[in-house]
Amino acid sequence: MLNLIKADFYRILRGKAIYICMLFILLAGFVSALTISPGHVGLSVSSSTSDIMNDPEFFEKLQKANSITALRDVMKSQGEFKLDKEILGQNVNLYYVFIVITVVTLCVDFSNRTVKNTLSSSISRKKYYLSKVITIFTLSTFILLFNNLSAYLINYFMNGIGYASSIKEIFKLTIIQMPLIYGIMSLLIAFAFVFGKTSVFNTIAIPFIMVVQLIGLGIINLFRIKADWFYNYEIQFALAKLANNPSSSFIIKCVCLGFVYIVLFNFIGYLVFKNKEIK
Amino acid sequence: MKKTVVSTNCLTKKYGDFYALKDVSIDIFEGDIYGLIGRNGAGKTTLMKIITTLTNKTSGEFSLFDSNDKDLTKVKRRIGSLIENAAFFPNMSAYENLKYYALQRGIVNLEQITEAIKLVGLEDAGKKKFKNFSLGMKQRLGVALAILDNPDFIILDEPINGLDPIGISELRDTFKNLNEEKGITILISSHILSELYQVATRFCIIDKGVVIKELTKEELDFDCSKCIVLKVDNTKKAATVIESKLKTTNYKVIDKKEIRLYDCLGESDKVNKILLKNDVDVLSINETGISLEDYFKNIIKEGK
Repeated sequence: MLNLIKADFYRILRGKAIYICMLFILLAGFVSALTISPGHVGLSVSSSTSDIMNDPEFFEKLQKANSITALRDVMKSQGEFKLDKEILGQNVNLYYVFIVITVVTLCVDFSNRTVKNTLSSSISRKKYYLSKVITIFTLSTFILLFNNLSAYLINYFMNGIGYASSIKEIFKLTIIQMPLIYGIMSLLIAFAFVFGKTSVFNTIAIPFIMVVQLIGLGIINLFRIKADWFYNYEIQFALAKLANNPSSSFIIKCVCLGFVYIVLFNFIGYLVFKNKEIK
Repeated sequence: MKKTVVSTNCLTKKYGDFYALKDVSIDIFEGDIYGLIGRNGAGKTTLMKIITTLTNKTSGEFSLFDSNDKDLTKVKRRIGSLIENAAFFPNMSAYENLKYYALQRGIVNLEQITEAIKLVGLEDAGKKKFKNFSLGMKQRLGVALAILDNPDFIILDEPINGLDPIGISELRDTFKNLNEEKGITILISSHILSELYQVATRFCIIDKGVVIKELTKEELDFDCSKCIVLKVDNTKKAATVIESKLKTTNYKVIDKKEIRLYDCLGESDKVNKILLKNDVDVLSINETGISLEDYFKNIIKEGK
């Protein structure tokens, strides 16, 4: 299995995708630090910035800002807050980087039909599956660490200590987010094994989180359901909450949820792959 | 006695109600170049995919190097394969693609990559990426992967597809060398019998998932060679006359009424007269001999 992982790293590190992802992360970190605001995709916003966004006077000021420097001045006028933690709270953005990781590690094997070269040799489906999971988890851990550390360092050097947390805090946040991140990765791995080719995988995976949020909120609003669970444990809300002084019980619940996702999605992925005809 | 490399017993693969393979029972022996011939969709690739575990069988069983199909992981190390078209990573060169698989299979001696590339004549490809390869180059790289880990048995699914005549001839020589010098057993498929004839030592004709005929090269030669077909009332008596009067033993008794004579071609009248003179009733006599393609067509027709 180690050989399979070694071979995948040889191939992935020769390609451009992983380096483009790193560049994207640095750029996103730089823009967040420059504008003193964590960018986000999807519905959830981080708690500190959501509070100030609700202030109409401040919102008007933001709208009038016509350059990045003006925007930066407006944000600075609101006083200091821990921007790096806010950026980490928006780590669901990494979902799109994780899609790239899943594609370069796994989907290309199905799209190029190279998977048959591997499985027709002495490598079993179980070994193949496990090696892909380990490679994807390793790469996503690296990306998560790279994202969190670069966000911390860029913010530290651009905005000063007033906007920065301690490095210890950053590592703590990284670790408590990991089970949920691995849960998301397991979902993507299951998608890749079920749908195979990159084009189909992308069609399903890219809008997935947004579609879940839209359907979830639609149902909640339509039937007027009290849905604290959704605002707590939907992946984007959960990651954002984990970055903002969560309670121990919330951390434990998120860790458990992460493990449930890991087991459930990998079980589905392997079950489908085990019986799949390789074309 | 020759060792069996692959043995299948009533191997069946069904997709819904459609039989891709039906009760296929074949044996491939050590040292064979086993040619699998059939039209498109006959079941050749399905059989190869089952043997390489790329797809599951519906019923029946098979063994590889005497290991049954439930425990193949170890013996699969002894197999190299090229199933359907060669598939590689488009943005990597021939060497890089093979290195990927060498790392995957734990091949320590990377010289094997260069050797495999050389053996299939791709040494000039250099840093050219796979996506820029011609169809023939892609197939050659597929063959290089199949032989990369010095296998004992290679499975090649239509490996000459897309090759030019010189390429076909070179690859054919490569297969023969691998078989003769390294003792590698080869299972090779094609829908062109005349192509396989030049390389295979045993043949299996398959159509609509059913094995129609298994035969050796000698048997195929015999079935296709030019001869005088004699229908007589008494083959024993006719055989004695042929040996004593025509002074030849180059004949074969097919059944109670048919004898095939491989000498005296163009002398049907003379043969007829001699047999009649010696009290053998000749019911019919004619010269025949068929091309490989016609033979293949006839076999398929008979199979129907």
